[in-house]
Amino acid sequence: MQLGFKRFLILALLAALVGFVVQGAALAQKGPLHPPIFLLDEDGNNVLDTGRPVSTLQTCGGCHETDLIDAHSFHSQQGREHLYPLGKAPSGRPWDFSQGLFGKWDPIMYRYLSPAGDRLKDMGTPDWVKIFGPYHPGGGPAMTSRSGQPLKDIPMTLGDPETTSFDPATNESHLWDWNQSGVVEMNCFLCHMSDPNNEARIHALRKGEFAWANTATLLGTGIVHPKENGVGYEYNRNMFDGEGHVKHENTFVKAASSKNCGLCHGEVQTEISKTLTYKDLDERDRVTMRTGQILSGQRISDSALNIKGKSTLNRSWDVHLERNLQCTDCHYAINNPAYYEPPEELRPDYLTFEPRRPDIADYLARPIHQFARGPVTEQEVGSGVAATMQRCESCHNYKDTHNWLPYVARHGSKLSCEACHVPKLYAPAIEQNDWTVLTKDGRGVMTYRGVEGDGNPKNPYNLIDGYNPILLPHQDPDGVSRLLPYNFITSWYWVYGDPPRPVRQADLQKAYFDEQGEYRPEIMQVFDANGDGELSAEELRIDSEEKEYAVRVQLTALGVDSPRIYGEVMPLPLAHNVAGSGYATRDCKACHSDKSRVSQPLKLARYTPGGVMPEFVSGAGLEPTGDFIQGEHGELYYRPSTVKAGLYLPGHDRVKWVDWLGFLMLVGVFLGVFIHGGLRVYAAAHGVATHHGRTRKVYMYTFYERLWHWTQAIAIILLILTGIVIHRPDMFGGVDFGAMVPVHNVLGFLLLFNAFFALFYFLAGERIQQFLPEPKGFFYQAIQQAMYYARGIFRGEPHPFEKDERHKMNPLQQATYLVILNILLPLQILTGILIWGAQRWPTLSNALGGLQYLAPFHTFIAWTFAAFVIMHMYLATTGHTPTAALEGMITGWEEVEVENGHDATTIA
Amino acid sequence: MLYGKKNWIIGVLVTLAIFIIPLALVAVPRVQSRQIDNPRAHLPKHPVPADHSGFFENADFKTGQDVTKACLECHPEAGEGMKHNNHFTWTHTYSRDEVPGIHDNVLGLKDPVLTGKAHVINNFCITIKPNWPACTACHAGYGWKDETFDFSNEENIDCLACHDTTGLYVKAKSGVPAKSVNLVDVAKHVGNPTRLNCGACHFRGGGGDAVKHGDLDNSLINPPDDLDVHMGKNNMVCTDCHRYKGDHVFKGRSISVSLDDANQVHCTDCHSERPHADDRINLHTKTVACQTCHIPAFARKEATKVFWDWSQAGQDLPIHNPHVYLKIKGRFVYKRNVIPDYAWYNGKVGDRYLIGDRFDPSKELVLNPPGGDINDPNAKIFPFKIHHATQPYDKKYNILLTPHTYGPGGYWSEFDWDKALRDGAEAFGLPYSGNYGFARTAMYWPITHMVAPADQALQCIECHTPDGSPGRLDWKALGYPGDPMIYGSRQATSETANATMGGLQ
Repeated sequence: MQLGFKRFLILALLAALVGFVVQGAALAQKGPLHPPIFLLDEDGNNVLDTGRPVSTLQTCGGCHETDLIDAHSFHSQQGREHLYPLGKAPSGRPWDFSQGLFGKWDPIMYRYLSPAGDRLKDMGTPDWVKIFGPYHPGGGPAMTSRSGQPLKDIPMTLGDPETTSFDPATNESHLWDWNQSGVVEMNCFLCHMSDPNNEARIHALRKGEFAWANTATLLGTGIVHPKENGVGYEYNRNMFDGEGHVKHENTFVKAASSKNCGLCHGEVQTEISKTLTYKDLDERDRVTMRTGQILSGQRISDSALNIKGKSTLNRSWDVHLERNLQCTDCHYAINNPAYYEPPEELRPDYLTFEPRRPDIADYLARPIHQFARGPVTEQEVGSGVAATMQRCESCHNYKDTHNWLPYVARHGSKLSCEACHVPKLYAPAIEQNDWTVLTKDGRGVMTYRGVEGDGNPKNPYNLIDGYNPILLPHQDPDGVSRLLPYNFITSWYWVYGDPPRPVRQADLQKAYFDEQGEYRPEIMQVFDANGDGELSAEELRIDSEEKEYAVRVQLTALGVDSPRIYGEVMPLPLAHNVAGSGYATRDCKACHSDKSRVSQPLKLARYTPGGVMPEFVSGAGLEPTGDFIQGEHGELYYRPSTVKAGLYLPGHDRVKWVDWLGFLMLVGVFLGVFIHGGLRVYAAAHGVATHHGRTRKVYMYTFYERLWHWTQAIAIILLILTGIVIHRPDMFGGVDFGAMVPVHNVLGFLLLFNAFFALFYFLAGERIQQFLPEPKGFFYQAIQQAMYYARGIFRGEPHPFEKDERHKMNPLQQATYLVILNILLPLQILTGILIWGAQRWPTLSNALGGLQYLAPFHTFIAWTFAAFVIMHMYLATTGHTPTAALEGMITGWEEVEVENGHDATTIA
Repeated sequence: MLYGKKNWIIGVLVTLAIFIIPLALVAVPRVQSRQIDNPRAHLPKHPVPADHSGFFENADFKTGQDVTKACLECHPEAGEGMKHNNHFTWTHTYSRDEVPGIHDNVLGLKDPVLTGKAHVINNFCITIKPNWPACTACHAGYGWKDETFDFSNEENIDCLACHDTTGLYVKAKSGVPAKSVNLVDVAKHVGNPTRLNCGACHFRGGGGDAVKHGDLDNSLINPPDDLDVHMGKNNMVCTDCHRYKGDHVFKGRSISVSLDDANQVHCTDCHSERPHADDRINLHTKTVACQTCHIPAFARKEATKVFWDWSQAGQDLPIHNPHVYLKIKGRFVYKRNVIPDYAWYNGKVGDRYLIGDRFDPSKELVLNPPGGDINDPNAKIFPFKIHHATQPYDKKYNILLTPHTYGPGGYWSEFDWDKALRDGAEAFGLPYSGNYGFARTAMYWPITHMVAPADQALQCIECHTPDGSPGRLDWKALGYPGDPMIYGSRQATSETANATMGGLQ
């Protein structure tokens, strides 16, 4: 290249050398670190000489490989580098052909980039630059054609959307000369200045002065002034030195900061002293308006927005910004040597850290402008670098800081960090976007969530109350589905034709309005129900066949073929506005209760236009494990289902029939006890002679047997009680769910150890025999015992079997205990251990069906135990005297009847 | 016999132990993890005052001294204690070597050096001597109107100023009770000092409410929760922190009069050294005083004086706002909700202007710069109110002058600077050339009251600003190469020459 460039290069490298070798000294010096720059035009000549627009690719390209930066940046390419055949884009809409703003339908902006060959054309590439340019840093589709040619080189053909500007209002097409308008190069200044003039840039784009857009960004630095004729800019020589550089002290280039990102992405507030006001809720703040996320380190209570309960909201909007993080601290350039770390799968097992870094000089020459991203999905732009970002747990040690939380690993495998740490959004977010009707200003009806009153977020009389995001599973890069908070935007709009296209905004306007901009009489006739000549918010919605028909007639008359209403749900994952520990969801019952966050429905819409059920935009990574439900007044909700998501939350989930069956069993036992006991009391009261046989005291239960019995009894009763709290925490408001869980676990292990020791005791001492029924004559004896309970007991007959230390149990008891101790108890302990162990051995638990099967099973056996405890307590009163058995189990000595014919001995 | 009938009690105990021990093992760490700093446990228990309403039935108290005499009958030790209390002595004695700073040029400096309220110079009303009656209205004694006041007479001690609970006790010039006060009634209602007792003088220092300290004013008599978390939300009284140590000695110190930090009150008297749940914040406590973050602004309710221009005094200006101009005092600037100035501070004064000290009038003279700098391991970054003023000095000797303001012949009645300065110089034995001017001076007032609730404490980004834009702390002025979050803490900067990025490691 020319001499100028070489000199520039040498100077730049020298300055860079000085800058990096004596970094401390250089930083302490006044003035910017970046070496002085020439501003060059697209031919590489100094703009001072030519007066032409600044070419960022040339100006910055002297040292940095701008071509490479532009070609590998999802910010500039916006999906242009990989266009899909129509309808084959991952978003699944039949008219989408890209992952990015260039070719993916955005129902909120409501303009459609026309592919070649469409009969009704909405936007050509030049129109796209004008309309979407404000959200686009230039380069990509603003420079390069869909097939990869420079826009300036492609032949001009009227009707080709690449070289034609369409006016859908008049259906006129104009040839667009890219050589005359210039192209928008990737705008380095927009992100690498502390105060880029975005307004001037947008103004130039809207006017179609594409070549000047990047130069306009410099307005305000003093380097450029608008030309007197209003087109373009001229340069202020005073800001340049004798050699044609921008003077060193005027060098404006710096690393990108959060403020720069905020220009397109949303409300980013970096000045702590500046109060957040309604003015800051700008419609250009895409992310803020769509999700309610405001990126500010300021306390919510310090904002001037009228937020409900603001005085107690002493948390910051985003804890990371409060802690002075910049966007680029997480979303860094992926070859930034300070952050670069090869993905785990590319790293051999013997390395935990890759010490080899890209050289800083290489990085400065070729800083890849692909920024690390979270687990974005294929429907979004930049999916190629998805999950390059450090995850929460790369920086945070959640296991040690969450030691208050039982089952940390289990929670970590089912929940994203955001699920608890983005508990609520405190700014309004778009809820419903209805383009089936138009308001007086020719736009669709937009309603917001998180704001009371008429839902207008900019009206200070509407109290902002914020909203809880919906929690739904999202497939993470490690293949695990975790619950992630989302906002849903539900859009309805007309589509037409086959293959379908969204009806153009201009056609809609023509369908609704006459030439004076008034609603057409045909429209008024069906929409204006009260005939006051105005359309209220309730009237302006398609809720009847007539209204839908009236609009369809108008659209058809305009040549729109077979118009019909289409609805879609756009899920927007929320990863910002993170709350610190004090404000994150912490109460166990927030999820483990009837009104669980995990199944809290999200309102999608106040009404359903045309009764059309919306569909999820595909490829969003979301697993739509929920159901659409209709509210009482026609609202539409989406309610997540834990069952569909494969989750079982103790305290929230239960199987109804299991509980009913268990409950009926318990009621049955109670009834039986009540009737049987009542009859016994009746019999006693009516003088039925009780059997007065000879009695004697027998040392019935050894110390260990009693210890075992009572330990087991207390453990089972406490387990049932704590288990009920865990099962139905909503019924026990004052009890700490979080404390019951570990107590239940400890009791469970006590029961296990107790059973184990008892088994050993009974086996080793051959005392097991007393539990084993005698096979010979078992049925006869069982019937004999049953008959005693059914009849004899009321007549005061003696017990059919004498009880002594070797024969403590009658055949019915033996059979019952055989089942309880050998089947139910082991099963209950086993299911309990598997539930407890779900986080230690998840594969084992999952192999047995996971919590979804184990937990209801465990619950059912718990019901059986409850029934057994009642029955057991009652039957313990059927001894010689009602308290004889109890006394025996306490002291060991029980008074038993001595029946004729038996000659038992004592072991006194 | 092991299996005795009554041994079931052992069984019960064993069974209970089987349950209680494992459950306790689970529960104890849970409870322990919830235990937090409990500052309330450190609060002193004040003695319940005896009811004095039955006493003094036949007393006829004509003067304050009469009351004190009665007090001393039952509390003889209080008199001995108060005689050494700085509320009464207004004097502290240091040997010359103990006074910080270089004082080779002090005219008429004696050894030991007398300091304390009665002997130092400030940039409000300047000196006590020879204006006693006006100043000693706040003296815990009776009748200090000139040099002859008898500090050895215990009856000259004013007990009621601190122990009145009626709120009706008022002191007049020279500290004697105002004529309106019913001394018998007040004496019958003595009790423990409240905010009102201390505040009667300390909230009104400098000649009116909120003038002097910036963090002490009448709004603290009944402060709202968010003005002062201690006195508001927790309704604490001054003596909860400024504790009684016996013999009528209390904790408390300020470099506006004191030179050292002996007997100082510290936040850590009640709060833990690492009181925050977040370790990142606890890392700050070695370098940053609690007050720095927890008092985001002072004078949050009443405006405080930040500038006093004595040189404007004596004019008949059509200004009737006493917060803007007074003929006797000059022009003022008051500010409300002031963001403090921040400086390194080791609790002691770094230098002290002594009466007779020669100084350079071309620069602003700091009368009491706080001690310590970035290299002083005991120094922390601390918030201050800096009170600026112009005050008279002798152009020939380059010393600050001590005008006679109050009383017959004083500036406030005659408006004659020359005469007032000559009288004042004479009183102190200072030379006076007759050629006077007004020098710019500044005074540091440590900000330590008006602690805001924790949720209003400073956030990280107020000092560690994104983009290095100016924040609350001027890192370079404090001696850092830049934000220590990026350039490293002071330990890192002093230990390694090239400590860039140390803070991020």
